[in-house]
Amino acid sequence: PTVLATIHKFPSLEPSHFEAFPSTFLHAPLRRDILHRAVIFEGDCHRFGLASTKTRREIHGSGHKLRPQKGTGRARLGDKSSPMLRGGAVAHGPRPRDFATRLPRKMYDMAWRNALSYRYRRGQLVVVEGELEMAEPDKGLALSVLRAHGWGNEGGRSLLITRFERYNLKKAMAELGAEGRVLTVGEVDVKDLLEMGRIVIEKEALLHFQEEHSEE
Amino acid sequence: MAIARPSPSLKFLLPGLFLGPVRHQQSRSASIVSDLRNVASSYNKRIRRGRGPSSGKGKTSGRGHKGQKQHGKVPAGFEGGQTPIAIVHGPRGWDNKYSETMSPLNLDRLQSWIDQGRIDPTKPITLKELVDSRCLHGIKDGVKILARGKEELKTPIDITVSRASKEAIKAIEAAGGKVVTRYFTKDGIKSIVYPHLFKTPRRLANPTARKDIEYYRDPDHRGYLSHTVTEGESPSLFWKIPGPSKVGAGPQNKGAGAAQKKAKEENRLF
Repeated sequence: PTVLATIHKFPSLEPSHFEAFPSTFLHAPLRRDILHRAVIFEGDCHRFGLASTKTRREIHGSGHKLRPQKGTGRARLGDKSSPMLRGGAVAHGPRPRDFATRLPRKMYDMAWRNALSYRYRRGQLVVVEGELEMAEPDKGLALSVLRAHGWGNEGGRSLLITRFERYNLKKAMAELGAEGRVLTVGEVDVKDLLEMGRIVIEKEALLHFQEEHSEE
Repeated sequence: MAIARPSPSLKFLLPGLFLGPVRHQQSRSASIVSDLRNVASSYNKRIRRGRGPSSGKGKTSGRGHKGQKQHGKVPAGFEGGQTPIAIVHGPRGWDNKYSETMSPLNLDRLQSWIDQGRIDPTKPITLKELVDSRCLHGIKDGVKILARGKEELKTPIDITVSRASKEAIKAIEAAGGKVVTRYFTKDGIKSIVYPHLFKTPRRLANPTARKDIEYYRDPDHRGYLSHTVTEGESPSLFWKIPGPSKVGAGPQNKGAGAAQKKAKEENRLF
């Protein structure tokens, strides 16, 4: 079974024609748990994991024993870098490490299809034919296009997905982070697909997603 | 928006006013990203020991009072040097390496698979369909169909497996289906379930062991060899059904019998 998606002209957004997509791609039933797993997986992989503390071997200082083991009437002490002491090391503190987790490829693909289906069902997937590109790298021009369609901040912001890098659009939208975001197909994550008010995607980009993330 | 609920005492006096449990207002956030969660069974309470009484694992942290086990550990089964009970008694029984483990398949699971559309009841159900649709996780020495959830089976099916329980046979035939039990060897199962591993098509073996031959000759088991059992013959290869003796033996054949006996006598060596 297939579902129909309206393909629009850009920037007028005049409906051009319908195209059929498999319902497993754009009309899959919502799997909140799979989306959750994919978003957490992406978050884990994006972590830098740079938090670092010094162990008692790394703290500056010698290993000389601060006071005799017995006879002073006070607690026994070794060297100055003990975690018990002020100025000493952190015991079991964070170390730079890799937080990446793994997720089965088919699960990730399913999450991708699920995210697009979620958008499609809400009418938040706007498919555009040709290139999503501005005539000039002009911020005001981009802003006027977004305002005209209610795609900007007032409409919950938009994610513009292009098949290849569109120089003018990227430059125009560079300072319009509050209105939306531009990404190429390789830069998109499942989280990005779910975040903003809508997705405006080039038809070629959507077909690329279909090729990459279909059930096969 | 909370729905006003009458107090418990009034519930009985005014049954019409009982509106049921209060339903929480659905909250809708700007994006689903703030409302993503995994299935409930994937969340497990983390046990942090020694962090206060309310956690349930405070103070002694689940170790009890004093003793070697609170301060350290004791090997499992160790009795302080006394010969452990497992060594005193010795091993129990033995493992029969010739026993066959049948993978069970219950009727409730089969019906569920048919309802989900994972198995097509209009086509014959073989071991391949069961494995490919993951109705069975894998097949050991064979498949036995069992009758858990027999009331749920409503679809007529045509199924061939290694063995079938009495109740399962009854339930399948009550639903209008057909069950046939057939002898499968491990290689036979492999050739059915993974035919792409074989360059040439394989024929299936027939039973050679007496126990297996008798099983598949029995019409009560819906065995595929039950058609070879003539009327008045029992499926057993040894035991005969008591009653009238061999068909054909009687006064009419006395002449033929006498001729046979004479031929035997002529042939005797001593």
